[in-house]
Amino acid sequence: MKILIVDDSKAMRMIVARTLRQAGFGDHTLLEACDGRQGLQAVAEHAPDLVLSDWNMPEVSGIEFLRALRERGDDVRFGFVTSESTDAMRETAREAGALFLIGKPFTADTFTDMLGSVLV
Amino acid sequence: MTTTGTDDFVTAEHMTEIAQEVWESFLSLTLLPHPLGAEAPALTGPTMTGCVHVSGEWQGSVFLECTAELAAAAAEAMFAADPGTLSPDEVSDALGELTNMIGGNIKSLLPAPSRLSVPSVAQGEGYTVRIPGASLVDRVVLVCAPGPLLISVWKV
Repeated sequence: MKILIVDDSKAMRMIVARTLRQAGFGDHTLLEACDGRQGLQAVAEHAPDLVLSDWNMPEVSGIEFLRALRERGDDVRFGFVTSESTDAMRETAREAGALFLIGKPFTADTFTDMLGSVLV
Repeated sequence: MTTTGTDDFVTAEHMTEIAQEVWESFLSLTLLPHPLGAEAPALTGPTMTGCVHVSGEWQGSVFLECTAELAAAAAEAMFAADPGTLSPDEVSDALGELTNMIGGNIKSLLPAPSRLSVPSVAQGEGYTVRIPGASLVDRVVLVCAPGPLLISVWKV
C-alpha cells in the first residue's frame, strides 16, 4: 500500500514516517508532499491508499486539500495529523470527508489504533 | 517578569505541561522548570525564536525562545541526526514545528473559533521580538540540556 505524508515541515514528515514504522506499517510505500498543492499533484500521480495530512500549511491548507480532492471526485482515504485537535476541528474534518484526526504530539500506539482498521 | 494580561484560559501550568509532553513525545528529552523560575537570566549569545499567531475569537501569539545550541539539539533529536550535521534551514524547520505543536495545543485552550498561523522563526543575537499592542499573558522558563527554553503567550 502507498501512504502519502503531507506536511510543510520536513522534520514532521520524518517523524510521521518513523512513527508509521514503529507502529508496524513500515512495509508500506511512503510518499511525501510539502503542502496541499503538492499533495493534490501527488494523489493524481501516485494514487495512494491513504493520505496523512497536516492541517496548517502554506499555499493550500490541509482542509482545502481534502475539499479539493472530494470536489474532483477523489475518495482516497484521508486523515489529519495536526497540532490542533479541538472538537470543532474534528467535526470540520469529518464533514469534509476525513476518516480521523490525530493530534500532535502522538505516539506509535495512536497510529496503531487509528490506522489499524484503515490499512487492512 | 510579572504577567500583565487578564487572560485565564492559559496558565503557566498549561504551558509547562504542553511543552513537556511535546518534548518527551518527539524528542525523548525532559523539560524541567528552571530553578530560578521567572528570575532566570535572559538568553545570551546566538538565539532563535519561533512564533505562531492566533487570530479570531482570541488574538495573540505564542513564542518559543532558546539558544541556537538548544534549537540545534532539539532538531538533531527530531531528525535523529548526528550532532552538527543539520543545516540552518533544518534547525529552523524543527523549531518552527515545535512552536507549531506547542502553539496549536495552547490554541486548543483558547476561545474559538480562531486560526493558527504557520510558524515564523527568527535567529540572531541581541534582538527583541515585539507584538505591537500585546500584553503578556504568562511566561514560563524551562530547562533542557544544553539550555533554557522560554515560552510566552501574548494577547493583543
